[in-house]
Amino acid sequence: MEKIRYFFRRTLLSMRQSPLLCTATIGTVAVALMLLAFFGLIVMNIQNLAREWSRDIQVVVYIDQVPSEEKLKEWIDQIEHYPNVEKVHYISQQQAFERFRKRLGQNADLLDGLMPEILPAALEISLSEQARSRAGTEQLVKLLKSNNNFHKFRYGQEWLQRYDAFIFLLRLIGSMAGGFLIFATLFIISNTIKLTIYARREELEIMGLIGATPMFIKAPFMAEGALQGAIGALLALGGCHLLYYFFLKKGLTALLTTTAAANIHFLPLSYQLGMVLLGLILGFIASLLPLRKFVRL
Amino acid sequence: MIQLFNVGKIYNNGVPALHSVSVKIPSGDFVYITGSSGAGKSTLLRLLYCAEKPSRGQILMGGRNTTRLKPRDIAMLRRDIGFVFQDFKLLNNRSVFENVALPLQVQNLPRQEIASRVYQVLQYVGLEYKLRRTPLELSGGEQQRVAVARAMVVNPRLLLADEPTGNLDHDLAVEIMEMFKRINEAGTTVMVATHDQEILQQFPARTLTLHDGNITSDSAPPPEDDNEEEV
Repeated sequence: MEKIRYFFRRTLLSMRQSPLLCTATIGTVAVALMLLAFFGLIVMNIQNLAREWSRDIQVVVYIDQVPSEEKLKEWIDQIEHYPNVEKVHYISQQQAFERFRKRLGQNADLLDGLMPEILPAALEISLSEQARSRAGTEQLVKLLKSNNNFHKFRYGQEWLQRYDAFIFLLRLIGSMAGGFLIFATLFIISNTIKLTIYARREELEIMGLIGATPMFIKAPFMAEGALQGAIGALLALGGCHLLYYFFLKKGLTALLTTTAAANIHFLPLSYQLGMVLLGLILGFIASLLPLRKFVRL
Repeated sequence: MIQLFNVGKIYNNGVPALHSVSVKIPSGDFVYITGSSGAGKSTLLRLLYCAEKPSRGQILMGGRNTTRLKPRDIAMLRRDIGFVFQDFKLLNNRSVFENVALPLQVQNLPRQEIASRVYQVLQYVGLEYKLRRTPLELSGGEQQRVAVARAMVVNPRLLLADEPTGNLDHDLAVEIMEMFKRINEAGTTVMVATHDQEILQQFPARTLTLHDGNITSDSAPPPEDDNEEEV
């Protein structure tokens, strides 16, 4: 108990006794993690946006001859059992006609005198999230073609190609820049803490001389590193929230439509907790490595 | 009892610091280690407190071979040793009280006991009224007294001092040596590495002279009467 109290007191005291080193470490951790968090925030929001767009990906099957209700039910059942099909929605000729009229808006009178039969009935098939890509839709179309009643399909091939390319680019940039940022963050944090410990190597030596065991010497330093990492992460989240609020939320609201701006969100709580945990673990490990070198009895 | 058998030390850069040193130091002895710079005085002390491992030979302390101790056992061994260095080796961001209390905190003693022992030893070295100061607010002599207090607070069986008076003027050096004598009279074995001839003459004791990593003489102090006449 005495020992735990000593470690706890020592950790807090040592941060108070070396305010410059402590502030420099926390500041560096905060800036490094803020860059990482802000990058994560942007990637997450672009992903959300892409997910929103992907809801529009669907395969439309046009039906020449309107089938009987039984036949239609049979087809819908059959399609719903295909892999990666989320929902099948039947659009009758009447519904298609109404929709078309709505889309024409002011020019709707062009349809006056025409019958709904000029438009074909259709089955609109939505795909599950993981299949919303060119490959996913083509796979579904291939299956649909096995049914001789389906001839005409529309699934926005060109749009899908562009969407796929965008997602690929997003993933590539995300993983490359993300990987680089994580590496840079690790490098900066571990070197800052290493320098802090280097500056206090005499303290480590003296502790060793007076009979402290390696663990007794290391524990307060590791606790200090972890605490500095966690505080740095909290500050990083605070800074990131400010950036989010002023640049993304307020700034983009002025540029984008209200709906698009409303879809921009801050990091979810689980990510925020993960960030604090990351700071804590980074601080702990970054302290442990140089300590292994400097604490040698 | 400290015994060294054919102890040699060659550093990683290939430079030999000690060749083949054999010596016995009974408990309660007062021993000087002297010699010119680079003779191996500090290396010998470093071997005794296990900061270095000998390249050859054996070192026994209290019948225990210290050449193959694990880090935890080295820590335990050092709890019985007090250290005083030329550059004091105090923690400048901690108070005098905290510096002296450190070896007792390491031993996980209750806070009350730590407080009372630290206060007593600071009284002994005459610094009880400066216990809240930091080392940088003290003079060189006072800093060395803090270092002596830190060494004494654990009631060590062995006190090792490496050029303890090197940074002090003569009067302060005498003051520190008188403290060592008193500690030795209380039963602690004291080993002082120094090349200060004045100190050697003023406080005569057994003297090991090192030259190029070898003990070239091991002289007992002159009889006390002669010594008094000389002084």
